[in-house]
Amino acid sequence: MHVLDLDYMLGLLPILLGYLPLTLEMAGAGMVAALVLACLLAVVRVQRMPGLNALAMLFISFFRGTPLLVQLFLFYYGLPQILTFLVAINGITATILGLTLHFSAYMAESIRAAIVGVDRSQTEAALSIGMTQGQLMRRIVLPQATRVATPTLMNYFIDMIKATSLAFTLGVTELMGATQKEAAGSFLYFEAFLLAAIIYWVVVEILSWLQRRLEKRLNRAYQR
Amino acid sequence: MTLSQIAKHALTGLALSAVAVTAHADTLRVGMSGGYYPFTFVEQDELKGFEVDVMNAVGEQTGDEIEFVTASFSGLAGMLDSGRIDTIANQITITPERKAKYAFTKPYVYDGAQVVVRKGNDDIQGVEDLKGKTVAVNLGSNYEQLLRELPYADEIDIKTYDSNIEQDVALGRADAFVMDRVSATQVIKDKPLPLALAGQPFSRIENALPFRDNEDGRALRDRVDDALADLRENGTLTQISEKWFGTDITTP
Repeated sequence: MHVLDLDYMLGLLPILLGYLPLTLEMAGAGMVAALVLACLLAVVRVQRMPGLNALAMLFISFFRGTPLLVQLFLFYYGLPQILTFLVAINGITATILGLTLHFSAYMAESIRAAIVGVDRSQTEAALSIGMTQGQLMRRIVLPQATRVATPTLMNYFIDMIKATSLAFTLGVTELMGATQKEAAGSFLYFEAFLLAAIIYWVVVEILSWLQRRLEKRLNRAYQR
Repeated sequence: MTLSQIAKHALTGLALSAVAVTAHADTLRVGMSGGYYPFTFVEQDELKGFEVDVMNAVGEQTGDEIEFVTASFSGLAGMLDSGRIDTIANQITITPERKAKYAFTKPYVYDGAQVVVRKGNDDIQGVEDLKGKTVAVNLGSNYEQLLRELPYADEIDIKTYDSNIEQDVALGRADAFVMDRVSATQVIKDKPLPLALAGQPFSRIENALPFRDNEDGRALRDRVDDALADLRENGTLTQISEKWFGTDITTP
């Protein structure tokens, strides 16, 4: 039984923190792209657009139905064997792409649920006073749907930050990859992975705090 | 992260990948796990080890720029196959299957497969005692292959790992692990894990650098092979081996 090597952890902290920006950039870029794609998918699903709806359902079914790691390997190592020009995609881009496709499938469903969850009577009321479909969406449905969807979307963002730890399998040294390599050099597994866990945890706690503030703001209209 | 940063990031990604495709005429992209002490590992953010020294020496000999790419061991073969790296310096053992697929250099490390157990475990004295035991090996490694070829392979519970097999044996989750004798000896000597060698090495292995088996790959292989021969001749290989292992593992 060895004692926790605090000096080693203190020395490792700035090194691991150096890899945090890449982790956050991949998650941030993935989140923005996934939000856009998820909104498109949700609209297609809500409006039941002919043809597109079936495609959206297939997309969601595949990307929700297979593990992210399988998708990353399939696109990064598998596809370039068939479509050789895809070799040009580097590990960082491939990770962002994988996160986008995977999480947009989940997010599309929660956005769709939030839109559908706005009571029908409100739609009828809005149409009865002469609002167009666009006005109805912009002024009545989306503001309410946003409030409902925000907590789950933030949840997915948190999940996405942690999912970036798979990027080392694609040769991207982010926070987790750096930790694994340092642990391999020192064999101080507990110290190294504990430190990585604390860093992820602190980042997620900061986001949770932001989430609470955001929810409070979105709830203003409902407070007396 | 602002939108402009994201756009910038995406553009850098594109630019980087364009460079990666055009620049490898005189840049040798070498893949390794960074997790195989003392062949390739990281200390204080610096990539070190026997393989790093050997490849840097090769680069000095051929005039190529050496670019190290680290990825999980299980991802390395995919990176080589899909053209993202040019070779793998991670103690790749020549096996018939691999030989059929890749163009190998001549061996630069001669070693043996070794059973390692938790200190104090006297049940296992060698490979023949692995019957009925749980044995850890690295996923996709030749040691997994070696175990599966044993006549009593179906009586061994073979567990494959992406990394950290030493730790799982030290913790007692697996009864033994199998890897090369050289790094097993070194790990036991240098690191604070309660491990011990069990018996003698049981299979001779030869490790070399694999390249893609096409015209470019073979040309690159020949260039590196010449450099390795020179390094062997002028004593550099022996010197690097002595530095990390205190003994010469580069000759049969």
